[in-house]
Amino acid sequence: MKNAKNQGASKNIDIQSLSLYIGAILIFVVFTGLCSAFGKSFCTLGNMKNIINQSAVIAVIAIGQSIIILTGGIDLSVGSIVGFVGIFGGLLLKSGVPVTLVVLIVVVTGCLIGIINGVFVSYGKVPSFIVTLGSMQIVRGLTMVLNHGRPVSGFPSELRMIVNTKVMGIPISIIYVFLLYAIMITVMKKTRLGRWIYAIGGNANAAKLAGIKINKIEMIAYGFGGLFASIGGIFLLSRLAYADPNAGSGYELDAIAAVVIGGIALSGGKGNIGNTLVGALILGMLKCGLQILNVPVYFQTIIIGMTIIAAVFLDKAKERKAE
Amino acid sequence: MKKILNTLAVLTLTTGMICCPSEAKAAKKDIVIGFVPMTMNNEYFITMVNGAKQKAKEMGVQLDVQAADQHASAAAQLTIVENMITAGVDGICIVPSSSEGLVSALERCKSANVPVINLDTKINESVLKEVGLDVPFFGTDNYAGAAAAGNYAVANFPKGTKTAILTGIEGQQNAADRRNGFYDTVKSKLNIVAEQSANWEVDQGYTATQNILSANPDLQLIFASNDGMAIGALRAVEEAELQDQVQIIGFDAISEALELVDRNEMLGTVAQYPAEMGILGVENVVNAINGKPVELSIDTGAKLITKKNVQQHKDYSKQFAD
Repeated sequence: MKNAKNQGASKNIDIQSLSLYIGAILIFVVFTGLCSAFGKSFCTLGNMKNIINQSAVIAVIAIGQSIIILTGGIDLSVGSIVGFVGIFGGLLLKSGVPVTLVVLIVVVTGCLIGIINGVFVSYGKVPSFIVTLGSMQIVRGLTMVLNHGRPVSGFPSELRMIVNTKVMGIPISIIYVFLLYAIMITVMKKTRLGRWIYAIGGNANAAKLAGIKINKIEMIAYGFGGLFASIGGIFLLSRLAYADPNAGSGYELDAIAAVVIGGIALSGGKGNIGNTLVGALILGMLKCGLQILNVPVYFQTIIIGMTIIAAVFLDKAKERKAE
Repeated sequence: MKKILNTLAVLTLTTGMICCPSEAKAAKKDIVIGFVPMTMNNEYFITMVNGAKQKAKEMGVQLDVQAADQHASAAAQLTIVENMITAGVDGICIVPSSSEGLVSALERCKSANVPVINLDTKINESVLKEVGLDVPFFGTDNYAGAAAAGNYAVANFPKGTKTAILTGIEGQQNAADRRNGFYDTVKSKLNIVAEQSANWEVDQGYTATQNILSANPDLQLIFASNDGMAIGALRAVEEAELQDQVQIIGFDAISEALELVDRNEMLGTVAQYPAEMGILGVENVVNAINGKPVELSIDTGAKLITKKNVQQHKDYSKQFAD
């Protein structure tokens, strides 16, 4: 029994958000305690900046992923788009195109890739999992073709400035992340487009009867997926000053993990985009804290996997109780 | 109820954290070295880490090992380096996932004043210039290793022997070095009839060799740029029942390849000495931390292992096995 509840307004979302925040704070406190027990520092301003910086790429990609999952779909191609943006943008930069123009070109291209995904999903009626499974391979292949599988490096210093400048002492990448989230939270809460996206995911038939052009809205949602994946790709390119054709492999799964930890249901229609940021930060905190504690790498993946299941398990507690 | 579940989940998480073997020691030793191989899922890097661990124990320093979980990537390595600096390591040994991808990571080390040692895969000069850092390099010359295999082939096979080369991933420096090292040594003596990339993979080595054999049924020698592809090639040769006609030389001296050399199923494999890289890395980074002189460049050497010296190499490798 799924009802297209309006986001934000309902009480149970608030409780859900609250338990997510409590969880995030608890993880933070646990790491602070564990790190100081081992004579290492976790809770420092510098490390907070580190965690947000390290999570920024996944956090941005996860905005688009949230929107698509809210419509009831999924996008597996975002990781490949990150790799594509690096090589394509990198080659443009090397051929002397100014940084600002490069950013514009790759973001538009990424958005177009998303829209093509969306056309096949919405008008073509092919399941999103299958469309994006295909485009994930196609885009990765294109990335290899572009530069014969080779990386690109040796960029002008302006590229590094995209994420490496500070505004009033705050790293600009952090400002970008919060700004992008603020914009999209507003779009999802205050505009018709946002409400329609929730409506499609909640109950597509009802949305259709209400006169919503569901195909068009769905297509736009996938456009957002490509748009935010390419912004994430620019972040990564700027952070590393190096483009690797394999970059972004597996990022689609990290983004999906951030979305589900943030409490958006894979069935769509319910959840809060802002919480995806908390989900991304929880993942970032775990990775950073476990590395500082020098936990062997494979145990890190086990703990992160446990966290994903635990988060959704808690989320479903209410439904279990109702039964 | 919700609260109970909440507490339960958090408890699960924290017990998970506490129960897993964290290698952090409560009493911080004087010196902590961060060690960053590309990954921890192949024998080559595990051997390197074991060499480093033994040396660290001997010198009384703590070794923190962190690597990417599956695919080596510049992004993962930058994150690891940032977190190691936060954790307060005194020096870092790193095997770059690529020769050009570490600009940001090296800058972090420079500004934190943490000395760096580069192992196995050399960081590009242009990157070091950009960062303004002198980084010692200890590793093997892939070209020379492959040339050793080439020289052996020239000395032991008649002129004009029909030879095939399996290469690694197109565009990778070490793939090019291994191919060129062998090719340049044999090109005027042997007859190279085929050359195909099998991307370092066993299965692709198998299919590539099948294709090469159907085009050249009188092939006599295969040089595979790594042991994985050599093992794939061997399967294809066995399937075609040409074991007596076609000889195979691999590269890396992984334990399975050493067994095959011992059983005369492979002619040889080029050994590198990853454990030496780990040992030298730890030794010199500790020297750098203590303000003692540091070697700037050491070639840790490469040697062709054949039936003649395989037992000796197996005995040597044993001390660094898990």
